Amino acid sequence: MPFAHHVMGVEGAYPLLYAVWLLPFAGAVACWAFGPQLRRLAGPLASAVIGAAFAGTLLMWGFATQSVGGALGAHVSLGAWTRGFDFGLLMDPLALIWCIIITGVGFLIHVYSIGYMDGDRAYARFFAYMNFFVFAMLTLVLSDNVVGLLVGWGLVGLASYLLIGFWFERPSAVAAARKAFVINVVGDVGMMFAIFAIYAHVGSIGYGDIFANVPALGGALFLICVGLFIGAAAKSAQVPLHTWLPDAMEGPTPVSALIHAATMVTAGVYLVARFWPLFSSSPDAQELVATIGGITALLGAILGTAQWDIKRILAYSTMSQIGYMIMGVGVGAYEGGVSHFFTHAFFKAQLFLGSGLIIHALHNEQDIRRMGGLRARMPFAFWAMTLGVLAICGIPGFSAFFSKDAIIYGALRHGHPWLFWTGIVTAGITAYYMFRMLFVTFLGEYRGDVDPSDLGIRHPELAGTPLPAAPSHGESAEEPHAPAWIMEAPVAILMVPSVFAGWLLFGERSPWHAFFAQQFRPEATVATGIPELAASAIVLVMVLAGIGIAYYRYASKPALENATGRLQQESVHMPAALSAAFYFDTALDILFVKPAQGLGTVFGRWVDPKVIDGAVREIVLSCRWLGHLFRSFETGLVRAYALIVVFGAACFLAYYAFARGL
Amino acid sequence: MNSALLPVSLMSYVGLSAVIFFIGVGGVLLRRNPLIILMSIELMWNSANLLFLAFARVWLNNAGHIFAFLVITVAAAEAAIGLAIVVVVFRRTHHVDVDDVRLLKG
Repeated sequence: MPFAHHVMGVEGAYPLLYAVWLLPFAGAVACWAFGPQLRRLAGPLASAVIGAAFAGTLLMWGFATQSVGGALGAHVSLGAWTRGFDFGLLMDPLALIWCIIITGVGFLIHVYSIGYMDGDRAYARFFAYMNFFVFAMLTLVLSDNVVGLLVGWGLVGLASYLLIGFWFERPSAVAAARKAFVINVVGDVGMMFAIFAIYAHVGSIGYGDIFANVPALGGALFLICVGLFIGAAAKSAQVPLHTWLPDAMEGPTPVSALIHAATMVTAGVYLVARFWPLFSSSPDAQELVATIGGITALLGAILGTAQWDIKRILAYSTMSQIGYMIMGVGVGAYEGGVSHFFTHAFFKAQLFLGSGLIIHALHNEQDIRRMGGLRARMPFAFWAMTLGVLAICGIPGFSAFFSKDAIIYGALRHGHPWLFWTGIVTAGITAYYMFRMLFVTFLGEYRGDVDPSDLGIRHPELAGTPLPAAPSHGESAEEPHAPAWIMEAPVAILMVPSVFAGWLLFGERSPWHAFFAQQFRPEATVATGIPELAASAIVLVMVLAGIGIAYYRYASKPALENATGRLQQESVHMPAALSAAFYFDTALDILFVKPAQGLGTVFGRWVDPKVIDGAVREIVLSCRWLGHLFRSFETGLVRAYALIVVFGAACFLAYYAFARGL
Repeated sequence: MNSALLPVSLMSYVGLSAVIFFIGVGGVLLRRNPLIILMSIELMWNSANLLFLAFARVWLNNAGHIFAFLVITVAAAEAAIGLAIVVVVFRRTHHVDVDDVRLLKG
């Protein structure tokens, strides 16, 4: 099979593709413009729009997977704007997988939000932002050129900013939103330079032209890959641009589930997978991507062990899992990396939505030390979280078992043994911190009424700050509330793929492999010495060890009997390096934020008042001085004016009489 | 120069015209009554007319006569506007002195 991919997609009309792309935008505009009129209909409307987009995506399946003469997928041209700038939509298997997650999981999270955001003052604004995010993300994955990609890239950053800062009454939310936006712009700049370089070498922005002209990139190939990867790293929270993701948990929980777990943060994985012809041609870039991915996976897992906020645990776990994906696409195991995106979207959305059930029920309490014993009180949330935890840990039969092993073993097969071992260690740590979260949250006694200082919570006034617009059930009886099932049903539906989606990868001739058969060219592999089954066994042993340690520390009989004291001891004796998240924030603060603030101070105190304002003031003063000079000529005396006229006439006369001669 | 056509010498016309003109200039510059000023301007117009007619006679060219009529027309229009201004000023202040009309002083 020749991999002549420079013809991207089979040209056609595909009205459905337009519908999938533009419906969420229409929904966003409707919720934005008619929010006060729609009231509580905004949520169902926004959900229905995303549901329709999901249906459209599924109906596009046949077109997206069609292959005619080397052209794969469906392509719609949006016209040539100027020479070399042909815009269009491309839905091929890679874009299809992303669209299924964006609209499918997006639909479930929208439905969940109807319940979660019920009673919020800015109900319609929330759904407008969510629909807008879906539109932006679809723009990102459906674009057939790098400029459209960058537009989508920027728009999802904007949507993320708006949704992290959704509760803008809280200064911490505003700060988190700003931080996320600034770090993402760092990535955007990297991507922009890569795009400039691509256009300079290829003379076109279309994927097809770029991939057909990889040799033309020459020596710039590595730098282009690095530029693209800076964008990917910022968007996908890879070290050292990861610090925004834990802070982004300030947004409402459905936002964390959709944007900061399932879809937007995986855009980096999409980017590397989409540009596989470039990365595959640059082993140095692949090495860099895979290494950063591996480091992020390990670092996120280690930091996950030290968190007490349930959403921050999930945030670090997201960072770690995306590290896996980036590692997978970095070593050249594109199918494996994308498959982990696919399964991760389900179980991580499920975990976030499950945690949202708890947070919602406990009135915005997010500290797992103040939970405990919730198994009896919230059995549905318990089972949802348990299945999600089992899935993320890669217990055999659950989805991540297949997708994570595809990455870990892929690292070995493509000749990166130390990344292989990193992945295995990370899998063990993942099992430890996920079960730690599960045990502390659901087992033992409820600790919500224990004095926070007895649990080692240093600043109880900061923990579980009540939201200004807290969705409070039962307090305002006159407003009818969304039923409980509207939040539980999406979680229940998500359980199915989060448990079973991994089976798509089972076997040598798996459906997943067949699906991507024409998307990626298989990379060269090396002899491993360790059979895949043995690798899976090693991973399993590590996972079981992690679960065992978590059980011993948090779920064994003595641990449960003295849970309060043990949690206090752990909080007090938490290593400083872990509490400070390995000082990444401090380092970035000293290296970039402080100098930038210093520069800002210089400009604010000196350049602006002295140079800019000073120049303006000088111009004003000189104009005033000139005015004073000239007004002295204006006496208002008619005879004086007449004298000037006569004097002027005399001058003319003198000129013609003497200078010119008579 | 044909003395039959011009019994008085041309220089006499030019000299008279210059004298009348400078009397007019002096009137405009030195008098404060706007009516006198308008009359002085009239003197200047007419000194110019005198020159037009004298030179038309010398060069046997009727354009000078025609221009003299044009000047009379313009002078009439100017006198109308000038007198209108004087009347308006008089209505507001009940006396007219150009040195007192200084609203345009900077």
